[in-house]
Amino acid sequence: MATRGSNRSRLLWVSLLVTSLFIITLDLRGVSLLSSLRSGTQSVLAPVERLATRVFSPVGDFFSEVGNLGRSSEKIDKLEEENQELKSQVIFNENTLAQLESLKGVLDLAGKARYKTVSARVISKGGTGTFSETIVLDIGSDSGVRRDMTVIAASGLVGVVKSTTASSSIVLLMNDPSFRIGVRVAGKQDMGILLGQGDKNYSLQMLSATSAISVGDVLLARGSSGDKPFVPGVPVGRVSYVENTVGQLTKEGRVNGFVDLNSLSVVSVVLSAVAGDPGDALVPQAPRPAPTVTVFVTPSPTPKE
Amino acid sequence: MEINRLPKVLLIFLTLFLIQETLINQINFLVAGFSLYLAFFMAWVIQDQRNSAVVTGFIAGLILDLSPTLDAPFGLWTLVLTSMSYLLSSNVRAALDAELSPLVMLSVAVLASSFALALFLLFGAILGQEVGSASYLFRSISGNALWSALLSPLYIPLAMKLYKVTLTARQR
Repeated sequence: MATRGSNRSRLLWVSLLVTSLFIITLDLRGVSLLSSLRSGTQSVLAPVERLATRVFSPVGDFFSEVGNLGRSSEKIDKLEEENQELKSQVIFNENTLAQLESLKGVLDLAGKARYKTVSARVISKGGTGTFSETIVLDIGSDSGVRRDMTVIAASGLVGVVKSTTASSSIVLLMNDPSFRIGVRVAGKQDMGILLGQGDKNYSLQMLSATSAISVGDVLLARGSSGDKPFVPGVPVGRVSYVENTVGQLTKEGRVNGFVDLNSLSVVSVVLSAVAGDPGDALVPQAPRPAPTVTVFVTPSPTPKE
Repeated sequence: MEINRLPKVLLIFLTLFLIQETLINQINFLVAGFSLYLAFFMAWVIQDQRNSAVVTGFIAGLILDLSPTLDAPFGLWTLVLTSMSYLLSSNVRAALDAELSPLVMLSVAVLASSFALALFLLFGAILGQEVGSASYLFRSISGNALWSALLSPLYIPLAMKLYKVTLTARQR
């Protein structure tokens, strides 16, 4: 009896495994029904994600700010209620201000290069089960966003649009392990390939044996044909380490990205690069050292008595 | 699995998927992200009978495959979770006591979700997916294990309670 039951469940398991393999095969052969299932899910999830961002972004901070609630007297309660309202208002304002600051930065960058952009709010991120570094934006094909468009933030490159629905789009972040981008060293014409590593460090491989890179060099996106997936000139990162191994054909190194991909709230999608390649115009300025005040002291002659 | 349990199971996993995609994914966890969906699934399946565990694994996998940010082929999570559910309900469950203690549930949820992630990567790599550097993978899997352990007092009682709710009167 037990054997029959166990055989039956084994048969069920095998048939479900075969069904899964059949679904995988269909997907790999490009059956559009399966990919449209995912974009359909994204269309359903986008409004909920938007709402969740709106509600939880200020409230999450609010809970971390308010540590202690008062006792049960009526007056204290009323004051606390008022206080809470004011605090949540302040947090909401701070949140909005931070987003405005971020938006101003990204518009400055786009303006310098004369990129035609559309701004978007980050409404969600890819999960653990996906093993890919992605974010979800609150705009989609209705706003002119298409697959393979460059996404930028105030300090540089963020990633590339992977897929879109009418009102949302998924962006592959530049730290995703499958992300590759052609870069050039600012001020030179040396080219290389930057690879995502899953964290804030990136790996750089130069293309030519004669290319010279040094720590502190700024890397810019080299651009793609038709500006897709990458528009030229976007700041990508700064070289932090150069490997000097004997017998290496080309130079390799590590790069620190300009954009903190963990704290993105507002980004811009580049619709087109109106003025073509901006060259080195977007290279971030090195921070200006604060002027040193030098005081010269001249000893005055001692009065003779 | 009895047919009248199916809508309840489907509803629970769909709700969990919605919570994972819209809320949990927005939180910046220390080390790496946390998959409530996977941890809850493991805590659920270890309580289940073999046949219904396998069907639940298939359904939960199909739902997880709907994730729009997923880059892997559709059906990969279905394959992984169907395999995991069979493994847990037939091999692991048989080796455990009839009454599952919270500590056992925690260990199963942590180890099984880490194993499921590793299996997903392995199958993905066989199918030609980019898997990333070893340090990235280690951080992702260990981060998920850490949070699965730390947050277990929240989801394990929930998994036990909801599991009982879905049982028919005869099964109870």
